[in-house]
Amino acid sequence: MNKTITNLLTSAIVLALIAPPAFSAEGSILIKNGTILTVTKGVMVKGDILVINGVIKQIGENIPAPEGIKVIDASGKYVIPGLIDSHTHIALAGTNEGSEAITPEADVGEVVNADDVSILTALSGGVTMVHTMHGSSNPIGGPNVVLKMKWGKPSEELIVHEALRTLKFALGENVKQSSRTITVGGPPPRYPQTRMGTNAIIRREMLKARVYMEEWDRYNKLKASKTPPKNLLPPRKDLRMEVLSDLLRGKIVARCHDYQATEALEFMGLAKEFGFKVQALEHTWEAYKIADELAAAKVGISVFADSWAYKMEAAEGIAYDAGYCAKKGVLVSINSDSGERIRRLFNEAGKSMKYGGLTENEALSLITINPAIQLGVEKIVGSLEVGKQGDIAIFNEHPMSAYTRCEMTIIEGDIYFDRAEYLKDREEADKKAQAPKKGGRP
Amino acid sequence: MSISKRSCLFGLVFLILAVSGPASADVGPTYAIKNAKIVPVTGPAIDKGVLIIRNGLIEAIGPVDKVTIPEDAEVIEAEGLIAYPGLISAHTNLLLEAPRAETSQGSPEFIAPAAAPQDRPSETPELCAFKLLKPTKAAIDSFLKIGVTTVLVAPNRGIIQGQSVLLNLNGEKAEPMVLKNPVALHINFTSARGTYPSSLMGTIAFLRQSFLDADYYAACQAQYQKVLKGMKRPEYDPFLEALVPYVKEKKPVIFQCNNLEDIKRALKIIDEFKLNALISHANEAWRDAAVLKKTPIPLLVTLDFRPPNSSRYVNQGEDLRKKAEAEIYPANAANLAKEGIKFALTTFGLNDGAAVLKNIQAAIKAGLSKEEALKALTIQPAQYLGLVQQLGSLEPGKIANVILTKGELFDEKTRVDKVFVDGVLWKF
Repeated sequence: MNKTITNLLTSAIVLALIAPPAFSAEGSILIKNGTILTVTKGVMVKGDILVINGVIKQIGENIPAPEGIKVIDASGKYVIPGLIDSHTHIALAGTNEGSEAITPEADVGEVVNADDVSILTALSGGVTMVHTMHGSSNPIGGPNVVLKMKWGKPSEELIVHEALRTLKFALGENVKQSSRTITVGGPPPRYPQTRMGTNAIIRREMLKARVYMEEWDRYNKLKASKTPPKNLLPPRKDLRMEVLSDLLRGKIVARCHDYQATEALEFMGLAKEFGFKVQALEHTWEAYKIADELAAAKVGISVFADSWAYKMEAAEGIAYDAGYCAKKGVLVSINSDSGERIRRLFNEAGKSMKYGGLTENEALSLITINPAIQLGVEKIVGSLEVGKQGDIAIFNEHPMSAYTRCEMTIIEGDIYFDRAEYLKDREEADKKAQAPKKGGRP
Repeated sequence: MSISKRSCLFGLVFLILAVSGPASADVGPTYAIKNAKIVPVTGPAIDKGVLIIRNGLIEAIGPVDKVTIPEDAEVIEAEGLIAYPGLISAHTNLLLEAPRAETSQGSPEFIAPAAAPQDRPSETPELCAFKLLKPTKAAIDSFLKIGVTTVLVAPNRGIIQGQSVLLNLNGEKAEPMVLKNPVALHINFTSARGTYPSSLMGTIAFLRQSFLDADYYAACQAQYQKVLKGMKRPEYDPFLEALVPYVKEKKPVIFQCNNLEDIKRALKIIDEFKLNALISHANEAWRDAAVLKKTPIPLLVTLDFRPPNSSRYVNQGEDLRKKAEAEIYPANAANLAKEGIKFALTTFGLNDGAAVLKNIQAAIKAGLSKEEALKALTIQPAQYLGLVQQLGSLEPGKIANVILTKGELFDEKTRVDKVFVDGVLWKF
């Protein structure tokens, strides 16, 4: 009996050694002769990348093509990690639960919309992963979700479960509803209407969450005791408080929409007081004023490149925000916050070279490895390294050039966007639309 | 009996009929439908048969030479006609009172915003559709004309909308029509402006919290009932009280799923709370048969083929939307049948019988077999609604909802010749 098993095992091992490496046609690809910008491991001027079953197997020169694999010739082109957008709102059925100020139970992960055509737009700009977020209408919005841009796949296959759980907070004008006109007979203005109110309501909710956690701790202790009291009932389970409890336990991290330095510091103060982690501040036009504090507290930022002053609280924004903070040791990412800007995220990152003097690689990091770290997925994406997932974009010029464009976008070894194919399809569709209908008038 | 006496009696009967309405659930005469082709749905067809109706029930069915026609029966010569069981639509908003008028300012009433997920300013699980019924002959005629004799009527406002009632369309008075009340709790993934929840994600959280609260409420009440003495009584809550039978006692919950994602969202919640659920609307079920193959949750598939606003067929221009409505969505049922997925068809979203028939024909044209269509409107919904002892096929002992057609049911030129509801011949 044992002998048989040993024999079987031996033959299996021998077979495995003789047989070519097994891979499925899906998720496997060899990209040849491109200039590879790995982001974390330097540049290879003429190199190949082999992806097998969705994972980067090998990066090097003259990798022999396994039989039957799809081969892409990237001669003269730039091969880079798939871009990551650290803050957007695409692919969702609804962005804000704006009826109330505190809605941590309203989870955008529950309303992913895989039909949103913005996914295709993102792919056309080389973006393979997004952090799609609850809107900024509430001091405490709701949990966000990280998606891969697998256009055409069912919604559940888009969700990246390895990512950090994040909770959206927001401060400033959106939260205090500065732009809202109050009408007679209409709904009354919502609390809070000021920045101090915003800070106070967040503190109030954190205190409530603490009491909630204590209630459950007390109950669990009593229940586990040798003589639990008669008629012992558990506390009511409150989904709102459950999310905040997870934040206070460190199972969820905060991502906070803000503009001004003062409110950012106040929020960081709240985080310190209640012991929760601020993973990154969003937009933060005045981050340059508090770069040292951000670096010391290990709080990242996710910002725009140069579109400030569109409202009062953005008045003191500067184009040097990202570059300056990056040089000060702050973990910086550039985000789109939009289903349109997402297709030219690379242009936005490139601006940090002119304003802020970042190197090509530092600028590229703002939309690859840096957002990957902010989302807690740097072990699987964000750079081209053996063992990471095969999320790759191919550009015709250096991605930080003003003349560049994305030619192909690959996720886990599968092509999701191919500009040549796409243009061909469009041309044919146009031809069809223009052709006179059979039997109809010319 | 003299002639005058007889006409006097006839007059009396007429008077009673006139007072109680021509087609109440009162016991009708005994009928013998003779020489019809009979399609019982659950068994083989009888080419030349007799069907006896007595006391509102089917008394006997069989070939012409095997069934004796009772002496007191009114014989209906049905040579050239086909008898089918009355059709069942397992989800409608028919016969409901018109929605409340808007206020004098022309804007909907302002609803005070809720303060927390446990506040429910506009949710009504306790609402019974029965209380909103306002049957009209025109509405009933419209459905009886195409052979639909039984409908599930659900309330249609809000997220947790209330409880449905099952009706036999036998008249304009509500009580005699009721087969079962309440039947199911109805849920729609919608949201309202200005009040909580105002977004789909809020709605999902609200549903979860409501079910959790109902569970908790039931546990507290049960504990209290056990001890009574020495425990503070839990506060009475009509909202949660109405939910308990559905969350704890597994009475049926019907989720209205307007797109594919709604189906998945419902399946997730159903699994989480171990609900005894059905999925309705579901006109995007065809988009992911794999998901539906894995679940035993019954599908109540609408014959309304308008694609949902979220659909990629709607967002890319009017041409594509029209094509989707005319060609893609009508194939929903056919695609499900091809995958071996069982379903009932409903008229949900369609209030006009003629439109329903047109859409049944479109579904058949798109590949659904006539047999499958018939089952999906008879025995299948009967099974899903727990009515299989009473309805869904022509069998002795079942309720006499019988239709006689000239030509095969659902064919273009076919018309429904006679309709019996609860054994009473309907007069159009």
